[in-house]
Amino acid sequence: MSNTLERLQRLFIARFDYKLEELTASTTLENLGLDSLDIIDFLFDIEDEFNIKVPDREFEVTTIQDMVDALDRFISEQDSKQDIDSSTHN
Amino acid sequence: MKRRVAITGLGIISPCGNNTDEFSVNLMAGKSGVRRISSAYSSLLSVKVAAEVDFNPLDYFIKKQLASLDRVSQFALAAASQAWKDSGMSLGAQEKERAGVYIGCGMGGGNSIEDLYDQLFKHNADRVKPLTVLMVMNNASASHISIEYGLSGPCLTLSTACASSANAIGEAFRQVSDGYVDIMLTGGAESFLTYGSFRSWESLRVLAAEDPEDPSKSCKPFSKNRTGLVLGEGAAMVVLEEMERAIRREAPIYAELIGYGSTSDAGHITRPSLEGQARAMTEALKDACLLPEDIDYINAHGTATQYDQLETQAIKQVFGDYACNVPVSSTKSMHGHTMGAAGAIEFIVSLLAIKNQALSPTINLDQPDPECDLDYIPNIGRKGVKVNTVMSNSFAFGGTNAVLIASKMKG
Repeated sequence: MSNTLERLQRLFIARFDYKLEELTASTTLENLGLDSLDIIDFLFDIEDEFNIKVPDREFEVTTIQDMVDALDRFISEQDSKQDIDSSTHN
Repeated sequence: MKRRVAITGLGIISPCGNNTDEFSVNLMAGKSGVRRISSAYSSLLSVKVAAEVDFNPLDYFIKKQLASLDRVSQFALAAASQAWKDSGMSLGAQEKERAGVYIGCGMGGGNSIEDLYDQLFKHNADRVKPLTVLMVMNNASASHISIEYGLSGPCLTLSTACASSANAIGEAFRQVSDGYVDIMLTGGAESFLTYGSFRSWESLRVLAAEDPEDPSKSCKPFSKNRTGLVLGEGAAMVVLEEMERAIRREAPIYAELIGYGSTSDAGHITRPSLEGQARAMTEALKDACLLPEDIDYINAHGTATQYDQLETQAIKQVFGDYACNVPVSSTKSMHGHTMGAAGAIEFIVSLLAIKNQALSPTINLDQPDPECDLDYIPNIGRKGVKVNTVMSNSFAFGGTNAVLIASKMKG
């Protein structure tokens, strides 16, 4: 079962042709040559891959680790929201 | 004091070749870029022919770049890259402030518009691709070119349908000639061969019927059995440079841009006006300080609609008795009607005529129309011809007419 970092790395590679070695947790997006517009565009694919919705201005990230942390937070919020929804419907 | 303007670089992406050498060879050989459409939706269309560009984006761009580039901008950048490299231009920071970009484009990011509506209406998407706005906007191509080469003079996009890139080149000419800038990277691009576009053009009843024997022969300008236009796509760019600067750096000079005329029919949204077309040619001749007899070749607008006859009359009105002696061809017979890119692509055809001292034909001219009785260089190109001065016509829907004149460098 892939963890968030691995899934994110695969997305980076599929989308931008980076090599795995370039995509360490501490790599900054600036080092990868990505600006805020690139991130907005990449978020579209990220939302699809992780089945989450990232509200505007809630993805202030500098490194790949920041992205992993933010995604894990969104995923667990999504999961607990779904748990609440299904329990209230019972 | 008007300054002289040299043309020092050419670049092209077209249904007849993705560089000027290939383009030139194909046109002279009468090779058509018109064929059956490759897309799956062609079965839904009544007209299934077009002049498509054979283009692999990954030959020109990395994936990251492609995310923000509609096909039209990919063409524009690829052609601009050829032209810039061809010119051997290398600019310092201050020189870049005196270099601009004027691009003609009719519809902007047509493929991205279609993709947007596909996502929204067909797939009920709750969100669309984030860069949609940036890919759809008509100024994208010009801006990307300006960014790529750091050209920080005026950066504009001109939209006058089929005359867009002729107007872009003409207005860029004036920018250099009048001293606002020293260099302009200018031309046009268009790529709107989508399902929606085809259906729209079909409804207007101006598209050619497919030739029953050979789809590649469907576009028949000036022919008695012409049935309408064939849609195309592509891009063409030229580098305009202040003449003394070009001479000083021993730049390769294809020709001198010497005349530009632009008028509006102010009549009907589709039906052209003889007077408007004739006046555009006359204005260009006046701008170039030339007589009609000085023109050695005209690249006609010649879309293969009924209005080819009107262009013939307009040429006769301007050129008088000489009209029967000046060779005229419509190379749309081979590369199709490339809309916003047409003016620039056809201007490059005219420049290549000077370079090669050879004239491209009007192909598919098997049944002459008595109402179109000029020398249209039927079917076979001509080599070893004296070509000093050329005229390129673009007469658009909406009524804008743009005419460019270029001349071989003396000495």
